[in-house]
Amino acid sequence: MPVWLREHSWRQSLSAVYLSLPLRGARATAANIFCSEQYLKVSIPPFLFEAVLYAPIDDTNSTAKIGNGNISFTLYKKEPAMWDSLTLANADKEKLQHLRENAVLKAQEKAKEETEAKKITKQENKKYALEATMKLEEAERKRIEDLKEKERQKVTKELELWKNQQKDGDKYKSIQAREELHQEKEPLKERKNEKMNKSQIPNEGSSKTRLRSTRGCHGSCSIFSQDLKEEQLPAPRAAATIKVNFTPRVFPTALRESRVAEEEEWLHKQAEARRIINSDLSELEDLKEEEKNPDWLKDKGNKMFAMGDYLGAVNAYNLAVRLNNKLPLLYLNRAACHLKLRNLHKAIEDSSKALELLTPPVPDNENARLKAHVRRGTAFCQLELYTEGLQDYEAALKIDPKNKIIEKDAEKIRQLIQGTMQSS
Amino acid sequence: FAVLGPERPQVVSHVQQTLSYTVFDCKWVPRSARLMCLGSAARGTGVIQLYELHGARLEVLREIKKPKPIKCGTFGATSLQQRYLATGDFDGNLNIWNLEAPEIPVYSVKGHKEIINSIDGVGGLGIGEGAPEIVTGSRDGTVKVWDPRQNDTPVANMEPLQGESKRDCWTVAFGNAYNQEERVVCAGYDNGDIKLFDLKTMSLRWETNIKNGVCSVEFDRKDINMNKLVATSLEGKFHVFDMRTQHPTKGFASVSEKAQKSTIWQVRHLPQNRDIFMTSGGSGSLHLWKYEYPAQRSKKDSEGSEMGVAGSLSLLQNVTLSTQPISSLDWSPDKKGLCVCGAFDQTVRVLIVTKLNKI
Repeated sequence: MPVWLREHSWRQSLSAVYLSLPLRGARATAANIFCSEQYLKVSIPPFLFEAVLYAPIDDTNSTAKIGNGNISFTLYKKEPAMWDSLTLANADKEKLQHLRENAVLKAQEKAKEETEAKKITKQENKKYALEATMKLEEAERKRIEDLKEKERQKVTKELELWKNQQKDGDKYKSIQAREELHQEKEPLKERKNEKMNKSQIPNEGSSKTRLRSTRGCHGSCSIFSQDLKEEQLPAPRAAATIKVNFTPRVFPTALRESRVAEEEEWLHKQAEARRIINSDLSELEDLKEEEKNPDWLKDKGNKMFAMGDYLGAVNAYNLAVRLNNKLPLLYLNRAACHLKLRNLHKAIEDSSKALELLTPPVPDNENARLKAHVRRGTAFCQLELYTEGLQDYEAALKIDPKNKIIEKDAEKIRQLIQGTMQSS
Repeated sequence: FAVLGPERPQVVSHVQQTLSYTVFDCKWVPRSARLMCLGSAARGTGVIQLYELHGARLEVLREIKKPKPIKCGTFGATSLQQRYLATGDFDGNLNIWNLEAPEIPVYSVKGHKEIINSIDGVGGLGIGEGAPEIVTGSRDGTVKVWDPRQNDTPVANMEPLQGESKRDCWTVAFGNAYNQEERVVCAGYDNGDIKLFDLKTMSLRWETNIKNGVCSVEFDRKDINMNKLVATSLEGKFHVFDMRTQHPTKGFASVSEKAQKSTIWQVRHLPQNRDIFMTSGGSGSLHLWKYEYPAQRSKKDSEGSEMGVAGSLSLLQNVTLSTQPISSLDWSPDKKGLCVCGAFDQTVRVLIVTKLNKI
């Protein structure tokens, strides 16, 4: 329950009300004071003072001074008139409540308006700042541009000046040149040097002074001295050849560092391809034409297998593989031979290679893949690697679920595995 | 690493001239405000144009048509009075022209079996000593040195061994011509080889491979004891070699820089300051560089032989002028900072580089 503060004192003038509220030891800050147009509340827990004012006041301009153990309010009346009392008499509870709520609402609205106003001013300030910086930067840019322009103009003027000097110098030289042309027969023979000197010396005297006086034309002395030098030119060099060898490069294009990796790869691939062809060509030159055909060799191999000549079949398949190592059937059939020959590891190898070449697994090569799996599975089992063998058999079953033989064999292997597991 | 602020040299574009042909080379005519543009017309014929700078424009003084497109030219081997232009064309012909009477060449030889990619001249223009000579490098893999006084046969021929496959020679440059006997030729090839031939001893003095086709080589000065060599290449790289100290196995010390992603077509040293040079790129940009020498230019290695020490490079300025490669560049030997460049957008531009005195 709050403690009501009742010992307030007040006095008034026509336009203002002066209210003094003793604080009784409590400390007050601005947060404890709530004031609206017709309602004033001071709440310093546990103390509470509230007043529904007789008439509305101007709450924005009214002030409160906290100090000396009391709060002094200076409330400016909205309408200058003398109040009968500070607070409204006969204020019933409902009215009070109503007033209180209104006051709170009004205060909230005012707060909102204030924040809005603040936001707007902030934005305007920002805009102003931005414009100001932009102007400054513009000015800076312009200054730099002006500097550059000035340089350009200065330099152009200098150039003009220099050019005019050149022109004057040239005029005299063209006169000389014309005279030379008259006298020359064959321009580049050695004798001509001497003739030129002789004819030039009388002209040089007059032109030399003119040339020297023009700025930027340092040539006068050297022209003169060059004439003397021309007399002493060494004879043409004795002809000779220097033999050169270049850093080897296969490609006719220019060398670029960024392309070196690509080029290496290409060369490597070319070398691979060439090796395959070359190795065949070199050793197999004495073979008959048909023996160089992998398909023919495969047939030969098949025939030998059928007759039981497994070694011969393997040889035939080997040769065929050398000619074309991308035919899966060769490896498949060779695997079968190896199985018969009990070269189990080789059989596994060849079946694996065949399966590799039989990717992607499509219905077309189902048959071949089936055979490969079965052969590899058989080889594994014969090596007593039953789990791997089972894997292959199951793969074979996946391809052809209806094959009874494979199913039976797979069942046998499973039992073998279980048997070994039980015993171990 | 870059010079900052308004004290940097600025590249001011002075004049721009659109041409009706593809320009392959542009050169200032010595001792004048005139320049030459060489190239190939659409018809497949050669063009030589002579321009003069008039204020803010270039005025055509003369246009010379030749049967074959012209790839490169130089005034390097001619005297200051004559100012004959030596050109190499797409057919392998080397010609020297008197521009006042250009119908008949003053000297002509079918020097190579294929296009002459690059040409350089030394011994003329009152610079250096010794006989005037012209060197040409061609797609047929040979580099030949010619003396205009000797017809038909070159005075030096650098050719591949018998049976050896050839590589395109893309660029040649003279150097080390500080007295009458000494002279070297540096050649760059499309497989990244750089070879240095000594003409006095007629032998190969040094070779290296910079891993990218060599587009342009230039000594900082032709007529001094060889000091620096800049070699530019494909893939935006260039190397600066310090040529004062040759190590028996390691050759010359170098510093390299990768300026941009595209080919660096040309390098040209400022005639008035041999430590400043400009590179022009395939992206239409120009970069102005300064080389700074190290505290000690040579040091001894573990076996006691002298080894060069490369310095450092700083970028003074760069500017992009065109969207097409700038394939040719030439500084005016008479006015510091004045240069001309020709690009594959069929435009020739005259530029002024300011504040070079303050470097």
